[in-house]
Amino acid sequence: MDNFQLEVRNLTKVYPGTVALKDFSAVFNGGKVYALLGKNGSGKSTLVKCISGAIQPTGGSMFINGKPLQPRSPIDTFNQGIAIVYQELSLIRDLSVAENILLGRYFKKGPNNRIIDWEKTKQKAAEILKSLNIDIPVTQTVRSLSVGQQQMIEIAKAMSFNPSVLILDEPTSALAQHEIDSLFNVVRNLKAHGVIVIFITHKLHEIQAISDFVTVVRDGHFIGTITIAEATPQNIVAMMFGEVRQLTRPNDLKISKEVVLEVKTLSRKHKFENINFKLYQGEILGIAGMLGSGRSELLRAIFGADSFDSGEIIINQQSFSRSDIIKMKKMGLAMTPENRKEEGLVQTLSIRENLILASLDSISSHGYLNHRMENPYIDQQITNLQIKAPDIERPVSSLSGGNQQKVVIGNWLNAHPRVIFFDEPSRGIDVQAKQQIFQIMWELSQAGLSSIFVSTELEELLEVCHRILIMKKGRIEQEIIPENVDLSELYSLCMEA
Amino acid sequence: MTTLPATVKSTSKVKFKLNNFILEIILIGIFILLSFIARGFLSTGNMLNILRNASLEGIIAFGMTLVIISGEIDLSVGSAVAFYGCLAAILTRDLTAMGYPILPVVLFAIGLTLVFGVLSGTFTGWIRSKFGVPTFITTLALMSGFRGGAYLLTNSFPVTSFPEWFYFFGSGYVFGVIPFQAVVFLVMFGVMYFVSKYTTFGRAVYAIGGNAESARLSGINVKRSRMKVMALTSTFAALSGLIVASQIQSGNPTVGINWELNAISACIIGGVSLAGGKGRIWGTFVGCIFLQILLNGMTLLNIDEYWQYVARAVLILGAVLIYQAQESKK
Repeated sequence: MDNFQLEVRNLTKVYPGTVALKDFSAVFNGGKVYALLGKNGSGKSTLVKCISGAIQPTGGSMFINGKPLQPRSPIDTFNQGIAIVYQELSLIRDLSVAENILLGRYFKKGPNNRIIDWEKTKQKAAEILKSLNIDIPVTQTVRSLSVGQQQMIEIAKAMSFNPSVLILDEPTSALAQHEIDSLFNVVRNLKAHGVIVIFITHKLHEIQAISDFVTVVRDGHFIGTITIAEATPQNIVAMMFGEVRQLTRPNDLKISKEVVLEVKTLSRKHKFENINFKLYQGEILGIAGMLGSGRSELLRAIFGADSFDSGEIIINQQSFSRSDIIKMKKMGLAMTPENRKEEGLVQTLSIRENLILASLDSISSHGYLNHRMENPYIDQQITNLQIKAPDIERPVSSLSGGNQQKVVIGNWLNAHPRVIFFDEPSRGIDVQAKQQIFQIMWELSQAGLSSIFVSTELEELLEVCHRILIMKKGRIEQEIIPENVDLSELYSLCMEA
Repeated sequence: MTTLPATVKSTSKVKFKLNNFILEIILIGIFILLSFIARGFLSTGNMLNILRNASLEGIIAFGMTLVIISGEIDLSVGSAVAFYGCLAAILTRDLTAMGYPILPVVLFAIGLTLVFGVLSGTFTGWIRSKFGVPTFITTLALMSGFRGGAYLLTNSFPVTSFPEWFYFFGSGYVFGVIPFQAVVFLVMFGVMYFVSKYTTFGRAVYAIGGNAESARLSGINVKRSRMKVMALTSTFAALSGLIVASQIQSGNPTVGINWELNAISACIIGGVSLAGGKGRIWGTFVGCIFLQILLNGMTLLNIDEYWQYVARAVLILGAVLIYQAQESKK
C-alpha cells in the first residue's frame, strides 16, 4: 500500500465571475499526512469538493494509482476509496454509534436477507472502533457523546469504507486537547496502514505535531509542497500570502477620548475568560483570532445574544451584569451577525421589510406604521450604502451576498446605534463589495460611531482598524497597532499556541 | 426605443399581479357560474347569508392566520368555542340565581369570558417561550381540556340562562337586514388586515415566522410577540363562542367540533404557509368566502351534503397545488 498515490493534474474550477481553482497539480503519497493550508477563499474547499465529487471540475483530471478518477457523487468517491470528514458533523444524533457507522449498510439475515442482523452489525462496528483504538460502546446514542467523540465516530464511519485517502476538514476546531490527542493517534495509526491523510487546519502547532508535508494553496493555485522541517511560520505565511499589497484606512479618522463601551473581567465558561477592553468614540477596534478562539462568542455575549457568567459591561457610565438584546439596542449597540442568511435576514421578507426590522419601534408611532413613514429610512440606506436593489418589494434573497450584507448593516443603522459589532462582514462577498463595506465602516467612524470588527481575514483587520486585540483560546493575549505590525507577524501571533 | 424597457416592465408587472390572484379569479368564475345555474344565489339575502355562515369560523381563522404566519398553530380553538359559551352560560345562570340583576351579570360574564380567552392564549405562548413546548402540543392538550371542561361545567346538558336580548349577537340584524354576525366578521377582517399590515406587532409576527433567530437578533421581542399572537386567537375563539351561545340560545358543550381544522383550512386555501412567515389576511378572507360560496351553491343545487366534504377536500388540495406551482415558477 505504501506506493499508493493520489494525483491531481491541471484541475480547474470556474464559477461565474471567479476562478476558484486554476491549473492545480499536486501529488499525494500513501502513508503520509499532508497539511493543506490556504487562507479563506484560496480554493482549499473547492479542491476537496472536486476530489469528493460534490462538485464537478471545469477541467483537468485526477488519478488514483495512475487510474483516472472521475467521481460523479460523494457515494461514488467513497466506493473508490476516498473518504471525507467535513467540519460539520453529519451523524444522526438519536441513533446508536453502530447504526451511524454502518448506516444503510447493516448486515442482514433471515429469508431473502430482509431482517437486520443487529448482532453482526454491532460486532462489525465494534471491530472498526477497535482498529482505530476508539473506546466508545457501539450501543450508545450519538447524542450522549461529546463533540470530540462524535468527530471520532464520523472518522470511524469514513474508515468503514476502507478508504485509501482520508480528507479531514478542520477536524480539531471543536475538540478539546485530549480529544485532539486521540484524533492524532488515530491519524498516526492510519498513516501506518498506508492511508493518505489530507488535513486542513489553521493551527500551526497541529501541523508540526502530525503532518509530514505542508501543501499550500493560494488564489486557486498550487504554490508548493514542503516538508515539515522546512515549514517555519515565516515560510508558511510567505507561501500563503505572497506579496501583499497592504491598503490603509483614510488618515482623517479621529478617535475621541470618550469611552463608549467598556468590558471588565467578562467570562463565559469554555468560551472566553477574563476579557477587558475599552472602546473609544469613533474607533474601529479589530479582534483577531483563529476559528474557535471565542471572538464571535464574545461579541454575542456583549450584545446579549448569548449569556455570560461573570464580569460587567459599561455603556454610558451604566453598568450591566446581564445583557439582553432589547436592552442593549436601547443603549445604542448593534450587531451584524456572522451568518448573514440564517441570523441577519428574514429571507421570506422583502428588502424593505428587512431594512427596518431593528427599527420598527422608532419608526412607528404608537405601534402604527405605513410605507410613507418607512420610506425615508429605506431611501437613506439604499442611497448611502449604495444597495443595488431594482425593486425594494422583492425578497431580500434576490440580492447578491454583498448587497444582502449592506441590508443587514442598513437595518441596524436605521436603529441609530452608537456602537456596531461587525462579525465577519466580508464573508462570502466579492472584493468590490468588501471595499464598500470597509468604506462604510470608515464613514461611520467619521460620523462618530464606534465599531468592533471581527474577521478571520487578518489583512482586512490591518487595513481597516485603529487597534487590534489578539484573541486565543478565549483570552485576549495582546493588543497591537496595525502600523507597527505586518501581515506575517500578525498571522504568526494568531497561530502560535 | 427609450420607451421600450418601460413598457416591458409594466406588462410584466400586470402579469405578476394576475398570477397572484388566481384563486380570486377562480372564485369569480364560480360566482358567475352559480348565479346562472343556482336559483336564488344572487339575491341580497343569500349573499348576506354567505357572509353570516363564514363569520363564526372566519373570525377564528383571522387569528389563526397570524398564529400560522408566526410559525405556530392553535388546535384548541374549536373546543374553546364550546367551553367559553358554556362558561358564559354557567356564570349567567349561577349569578342570577344568587340574586344579581341580569344586565350586569351578562356583561360581567361576557367580560370574564373574554379575559379568560386572553389568559389562555397568553399561557400557551408563555409555555412556548419558557419551556420550548411546541404550541401544537400545548393546544392539543388544551383542545381536550376545554372540551372536557365544557362537559363538566354543564353536566353535558345545554344551559339556557341567557336573557332575550342576548340573542341579538347570534341572530340579530343591523338595520333590519344585515346579520350582526356578518358585521362582526367584516369588522374583524378590517381590524386584522390593519394589524397585519400597519402595526409593528404585525411586522414582528411575519419576521418571527420567517426567521425567529434573525428577529431576535434584530432586537424584536420574540417571546412577547408569541404570547400576544396566541392570546389574540384564543380571544377570538372566546368571542366566537359567545356568538355561538347567543345563536343557539344556550351554552352547549357539543358545538365547535373540528372548527380548528376548518379555520386552518381557510388559512391554507388563502395561501398562508404552514412553514411560517408567509400569508395574508386577505387570502384567509377569500378562503372563508370561497368555501361558503361553494357550500351555499351546492345546497341551492340540492347536491347531497356529503359531497360538501369532498368539495372542501378538492378546494384545499387544489389551492395548495396552485400555490406550489406559483412558488416553483418564481
